[in-house]
Amino acid sequence: MLEVKNASKVYGEGDTKVVALNNVSLQVNKGDFIAVMGPSGSGKSTLLNVIGGLDRLSGGEVVLDGKRLDNLDENALVEIRRGKIAYVFQQYHLLPSLTAIENVFLPLLFCGANRESLDKAMGILKVVGLEKRAKHKPSQLSGGEQQRVAIARAIVNNPSLILADEPTGNMDQKTGAEILSLFDQLNTQGRGIIMVTHSPEVAKHAREIVFLKDGQIVDRVEQKGRI
Amino acid sequence: MKLYQLVFKDILRRKKRVLYAALGIVIAAMTVVGILTIATAGQAKIYAQLEKYGANLSVVPAISNVDMTLGDLSLGALTVGENYIPEAKLPEIRQIADGEIREALGIKDDVDIATIAPKLYVNTKVKGTSLLVVGVEPKEERTIKTWWKIQEGKYLEERDQALLGAQTAQLLKLNIGDRISFNGSDATVAGILEETGSSDDYQVFVPIQTLQTAFGKEGVVSSIDIRALCNACPVEIIADSINQNITGVRALAVKQVAETEMGMMEKMNKFMLALAGITLVIGAFGVVNTMMTSVHERIKDIGIMRAVGASRRQIIKAFTYEAVIIGIVGGIFGYMAGTLVAYGVGPLVFEGTDVSYIPQYLPLSLLLAIFVAVVSTAYPAFRATTIKVSDSFRSL
Repeated sequence: MLEVKNASKVYGEGDTKVVALNNVSLQVNKGDFIAVMGPSGSGKSTLLNVIGGLDRLSGGEVVLDGKRLDNLDENALVEIRRGKIAYVFQQYHLLPSLTAIENVFLPLLFCGANRESLDKAMGILKVVGLEKRAKHKPSQLSGGEQQRVAIARAIVNNPSLILADEPTGNMDQKTGAEILSLFDQLNTQGRGIIMVTHSPEVAKHAREIVFLKDGQIVDRVEQKGRI
Repeated sequence: MKLYQLVFKDILRRKKRVLYAALGIVIAAMTVVGILTIATAGQAKIYAQLEKYGANLSVVPAISNVDMTLGDLSLGALTVGENYIPEAKLPEIRQIADGEIREALGIKDDVDIATIAPKLYVNTKVKGTSLLVVGVEPKEERTIKTWWKIQEGKYLEERDQALLGAQTAQLLKLNIGDRISFNGSDATVAGILEETGSSDDYQVFVPIQTLQTAFGKEGVVSSIDIRALCNACPVEIIADSINQNITGVRALAVKQVAETEMGMMEKMNKFMLALAGITLVIGAFGVVNTMMTSVHERIKDIGIMRAVGASRRQIIKAFTYEAVIIGIVGGIFGYMAGTLVAYGVGPLVFEGTDVSYIPQYLPLSLLLAIFVAVVSTAYPAFRATTIKVSDSFRSL
């Protein structure tokens, strides 16, 4: 489904040059759950950003369903973000002035909402168990609740691939476990997930763990008997 | 729910921030509306004054100088012609003056329009002092000399009354009720004028018939003042017409006063407009600044919207909706504040001016506010969509 070929990303020039990704290749099949691990600065988040088109590659290719997306313009990327790839961030990145339901509704609004859209958003909110908090603003929600809103927002357009950047990084273990079980659920529904984490506990949920160091893949571990 | 509905809801929740962004617009619109309202009030006042001092004409006897020569010897000039205008010519003069004004202004009524004030000047001795006694038609003279103010007593009412210039009263030590005589006729001092700074201060005014009888000048006048009481009146045309059609008189258009005042007002108008323009530019810069800041603060929000599938156009649209609302709020409050400022400051600038609010400035204020708000929002919002989403998360 998704293929990363010899991806490299360089920030800055000359003395300030930083190689964030160095010739990284990765294959993600339909329904895969890949965890990306590595020390901070190893290029984990950069990898996630270039896959989703939030950042540009310096070299290499990203191919989604047979089409390159690393060289797409903004308008074409908008189409990718509306239904193919969705994001979940460590900082949740909810719009602070909108309620939970409005945040979930937002992607539907941008790709042309209709009468049923609000109901759909409500239904998704139910899936993540937050229908009673629909009218609350992010500031009135706990971290775990905010992340569940963010996950609801990510899946409302039914994407085939979810990119999650340390989604449980700001949470205690119990809340994190709840969020992870949500991801497990999404994965069993056949959605591909690439999750950046530095917690081995979290990585245990993945089918494959990719270890990054200094922008290079240094190890891959397949987990057959995952949780 | 549509995008604009969401924007509207969003704005209602961020009232404080939105009002803060609108504040710059309020101040800019307030200043422009205030200045324009005051300027309009001032204009109205000056127009009213101009109407009073308005265009006018003076008709005098036609006198010409003839050079006297005897061979090569010059004997100086001799003034020839009548020194008086027969009263019989007054109706003719009125007909010409009113006719021309009717034609110029498209008036159909047959009533008298111009004020026609005949005068008779006689140089004579009063209480042993030689001075100019002026015979006037009391009502007409009052209409023309709008600046006359009675210092003491009252204005001419009876035929045997006299009105004294301020200096005349002082020099001759005359008071209300004193009797003066000239060439055997008597008159009671009815009133004394306030100082005008003109030759009026040194004259004595009596009803014209009284003077005509006293000096045997029945049926003649020395000069005629015509006041049209309008700015658009064709004084030059009236003057030409009188000169062509009536013999023995010479009509002069006295426009200088009006022209000077008009010129001054034009200068003032330009100054006010320049002031309003400068304010607008400065205000616009302030607005651009606050709006840009408010967009800049939301670069992260813009990144989030893009990450969940917003196109550039949708983001610019959302911010434009917001700008329009801010513009409407700012424009309305700016108009109200500007009008209030005009009510407060206007009377100080133009003494005793009645400032009135001008409804036409509300749409002007709104248009201006919306335009400035949209321009200063759309550009930074567009800029924000050109940065990479991952970078917009990092900002702030």
